[in-house]
Amino acid sequence: MRLAWCAAAMLLTASIASAQHTPISRLNKVLDAPTRTAVLAIIDSARVEGLPAEVLVNKALEGAGKQAAGPRIVAAVHKLAGELRSSRDALGPASRDAEITAGAHAIHAGVTQAELTRLRRAGVGRLLTTPLMVLTDLVARGVPPATASTAVVSLERAGLRDADFTAYQRSVRQDIDRGADPAAATTTRARGAELRRGGAPPTRGP
Amino acid sequence: MPDIDNTRLEAVVAELRRTPPLDASFDRRVMRAIRSAAVRPLRLISPLMPMPRWRVWSAFAAVAAGMLAVAVVPSVHSSHAQPVQFVLVAPDAKTVQVVGDFNGWDVSRPAYAAENRGGGVWSLTTPIPPGHHRYAFLVDDSLWVPDPAAPRVADEDFGKPNSALVVEDAP
Repeated sequence: MRLAWCAAAMLLTASIASAQHTPISRLNKVLDAPTRTAVLAIIDSARVEGLPAEVLVNKALEGAGKQAAGPRIVAAVHKLAGELRSSRDALGPASRDAEITAGAHAIHAGVTQAELTRLRRAGVGRLLTTPLMVLTDLVARGVPPATASTAVVSLERAGLRDADFTAYQRSVRQDIDRGADPAAATTTRARGAELRRGGAPPTRGP
Repeated sequence: MPDIDNTRLEAVVAELRRTPPLDASFDRRVMRAIRSAAVRPLRLISPLMPMPRWRVWSAFAAVAAGMLAVAVVPSVHSSHAQPVQFVLVAPDAKTVQVVGDFNGWDVSRPAYAAENRGGGVWSLTTPIPPGHHRYAFLVDDSLWVPDPAAPRVADEDFGKPNSALVVEDAP
């Protein structure tokens, strides 16, 4: 009987010790008191709103890992909370956490809420995490947000799978690395991917 | 009523008051008897439990093992984690680590240290749970480098932008 008590106590101790390594508990370890208080307040508010709060925890941990100052961490977490809110508003409340997160990064990069909504309408019922990731990447590489958004929406309408989106992103990246104009590479590669998929070429701009 | 013989009575009382000789094991035997007679916590609630005690212990052990599995073994918690290979070419690097959302941006976790495969190629293959993740390489404990082969995230809040990774649920 005593052995059973000892075993149970050991298991419980191990569980508690491990729980101390969860992301939220790590905040207590890596942030100073004022920063922690401010960050936890933002995280609590996000959680109440049903936003993916773990993303905010990770942002704070990233700041701590990169040895950023407390006010900078708080500002980044606060800004990301707003972007998560905007992303969910644009993509719809039924969106998955990963979609909302990817949408927040797209907004951070300069994509508008209207463009996110357009992408959602193009891909109703489909998981948009990868298209949103590709959209963010294009903008981060210097493609104007409107051009990148038009390309990704047209590819989503053509029914590209996630693997096709990843291959498309790789092609555009290589073109840009070789010196191509980012917008031209995005549009040209989108037209090619769409044709390979059997869809109509994207409509030309005015 | 007969008269009491005081002398005889005092002798009896003296005999009763005399401490009997004790052997060396007396204390141990008494304490063992006390312990065995003590009411155990589980015995207090046993009348309320309609099952044998061994089943209660089994259930308790199962719950404890479950807690351990969820808390200690992350791979059980994220049972759909997919193996992902990270590669960085860094000929002059002495150490390369993969740090990101999936390990809480903890730079001190040896499990995420990439190995030098020769020719300056560093790689790490590790299970990553489904979802959208941001990450970067940490070279020589000081230089943050985005993955050149992965999509970028324009989140330069703390310096250089990170890379993005989407891990899908296994079918």
